[in-house]
Amino acid sequence: MAKQYDVLFRLLLLGDSGVGKTCLLCRFTDNEFHPSHISTIGVDFKMKTLVIDGIKVRIQIWDTAGQERYQTITKQYYRRAQGIFLVYDITSERSFQHIMKWASDVDEYAPEKVRKILVGNKSDEVDKRQVATEQGIKLAKAYGMDFFETSAFTNHNITETFTRLAEQVLAANKKDLDLLRMSVNDEINLAALEEEEGLCDSAAGDQGKGCWC
Amino acid sequence: MTSTLCNLPAKPAEEAQKHRQQYEEMVAQAKKRELKEAQKRRKQLEDRCKLEESIGTAAQTWNQEILPNWSTMCTSRRVRDLWWQGIPPSVRGKVWSLAVGNDLNITRSSSCTDLRATSQESAMQRLATRGQPQVKAQADKLYNICLSRAKEKWRTTAAPAPEPETEDAGSSDRESSLELIKLDISRTFPHLCIFQQGGPYHDVLHSILGAYTCYRPDVGYVQGMSFIAAVLILNLDTADAFIAFANLLNKPCQMAFFRVDHSLMLTYFSAFEVFFEENLPKLFAHFKKNNLTPDIYLIDWIFTLYSKSLPLDLACRVWDVFCRDGEEFLFRTALGLLRLYQDVLTCMDFIHMAQFLTRLPDLIPGEQLFQQISAVHMTSRNRKWAQVLQALQKDPERGSPVLKR
Repeated sequence: MAKQYDVLFRLLLLGDSGVGKTCLLCRFTDNEFHPSHISTIGVDFKMKTLVIDGIKVRIQIWDTAGQERYQTITKQYYRRAQGIFLVYDITSERSFQHIMKWASDVDEYAPEKVRKILVGNKSDEVDKRQVATEQGIKLAKAYGMDFFETSAFTNHNITETFTRLAEQVLAANKKDLDLLRMSVNDEINLAALEEEEGLCDSAAGDQGKGCWC
Repeated sequence: MTSTLCNLPAKPAEEAQKHRQQYEEMVAQAKKRELKEAQKRRKQLEDRCKLEESIGTAAQTWNQEILPNWSTMCTSRRVRDLWWQGIPPSVRGKVWSLAVGNDLNITRSSSCTDLRATSQESAMQRLATRGQPQVKAQADKLYNICLSRAKEKWRTTAAPAPEPETEDAGSSDRESSLELIKLDISRTFPHLCIFQQGGPYHDVLHSILGAYTCYRPDVGYVQGMSFIAAVLILNLDTADAFIAFANLLNKPCQMAFFRVDHSLMLTYFSAFEVFFEENLPKLFAHFKKNNLTPDIYLIDWIFTLYSKSLPLDLACRVWDVFCRDGEEFLFRTALGLLRLYQDVLTCMDFIHMAQFLTRLPDLIPGEQLFQQISAVHMTSRNRKWAQVLQALQKDPERGSPVLKR
C-alpha cells in the first residue's frame, strides 16, 4: 500500500479569542468560511496533507481556545508543536499587543526549535483597521518571524501562510529529512526515525490505516 | 402506452402484449410502494402519537404527583426510573431548578431599606449568603441588582478609552470579560439563530452572563458558560435561569473547571481514567498507545456539559440525569460515548480520534447512547466515583503520569 505521507508534524494556532483562528483553519482545510463560528472550547483538530519538495507532509493543526483563562490548559500543548501561528486581528489593537505575551509564553513552553509565523487576520476589513501592515512587519522582524496578512473571508494568503510555516518546519528538521530522502521507501526506518527524533510520537499508529483516512 | 405514435407502424400484437404486461407490473409495483409508504407514514404517526402521549402522561405524573411532593418523592425508585427516561420538556426547567438546588441561597434581604442604606456590593453579598426560602420576586431582585451593575460597566467600557500599555494579565482578562461575552453570544448555538444579534434571546443571554460576572467577579466569564446559560434560558425564565446558572457553576466539578484549577482538573481526569480502564480496557490501551489524553476531549464536554457536542435534545437528556446523579454522570456519559463508538475509534490514529471526539457525528442514536451509558460500571474495586476521586485528591501521585509535566 502506498504511504499516505512521509512526515507528520503538529502546528498550533494561538492568539486572542475572536481573531479568527478557527476561520483560518476552516478556510485552509475545507475551503469554507462561516461568519458566525461556534466558539472553540479547549482544543479542536484538523489535518491536511501537503506536498512540499516532493515530500508528502501531513500536518495536524491544533486550534486552541483564545481566552486567557484557558492558557493554563493550552500551554500543555505547546511542547507537542513543531510550528506555531501567532494570530492577531488587524482590527483589534489589543489582539496585536497581546502577541508579545503569546510569544513569550511560546518561548517558555514550546520546544526550542519550534518555528513561528506572525499572522494579521481580517485583512479584508480595511475600514476597521487598527494595526498598520508596517507594525506587523516590524514586530515580525523583531522576533525573526515571517509575516502574512490574511483574510479567511476572501481567502487571501491562507494557503501561503500554512505552506510557509510547513516549509520552515521541514527546513528546521532538515537533518532528519536528509535521512528520510535516503530511505524514502523504508517505512520501518521512517517510523523509527520519527520516534527517535520526537518528530512524531504516533507515527506507527498513523501509518496506512484504511478507515477514516 | 397502449398505442404507438401514429406515424410509426403498429406494434406487433406480441410486443404490444409484452408492453402492456410490463406497464401493469410497473403500476402494480408503484401501488405496492405507495401502500408501503402509507403504512410507514401511519406507523410513524402512530409512534409520534404514542411518544407524545407518553410525554403527556409523564408530564402529568411529574406535575400532579412528583413536583408537589418533591422532597419525599425525588429519591424514590419510581421517580428515578422516570427521570432516567428523560424529563418532559414542559416540566424540565422546574425539575432542573429543584434538583440543582439553591445552596447559594440567592434570596433578598429581609427589608428593602437595607438595600438602599448600604452599598450594592455588600447588599449583594448578604443576598447571596442569607438562608431564606427562595421566593421568586426575591430572586428577581438579586438578578436585577447584578444586571444593573453589569449595564453600568457596559456603559463605562463602551466609551473608547485608550488602553494602558502596562496592564497586568489578570486585570486585562477581567476587563475583556464583558467584551468576550459580546463576542461569544453570537457564537452560541449559531444554527438556532435565537441568541445572535437581533435574535429573541440575545439580550437575555447577554444579561445573565453579565449579571454573573458581577455576582462572581472572582470567577468572571469563561468561554463555555454561554452554552450553559443558553440551555437554561431555553428551559427556564430569566431569573430562575440565573439562579440555576449560579448554583450549577458553584458545584465542585464546575468550579474546578471554570476556575481552571489545573491540578484538580487533572485529578478529575485521573479518576475518569480509572473507570475508563476498568470499563473499556482495549480502547484505553489504544488511547494510551496513541498518546490521546482525556483532556483533549473531556474539556469541551465538561465545560459545556455536552451542550456543544451533542444534539440539543440529547444534551438535555444528559442534563436531566446530571441533575439527578451529579458530576459522576458527566464522566459516565463520556464513557458511554466511548463505548458507543469504540469500534470505529479502535481503528483510528491519534488525529482521527481527536477530530472525531471533538466533533461527534451529527446523528447520535439517543436510545443507544443511553443503553451504553447504563452499561458503564461506575464502581472500581468496590469504590464509587466519589471515593476514587477523593483517594486521588489525597494522593495525586497516583494520578495519570501522561498528563503531568
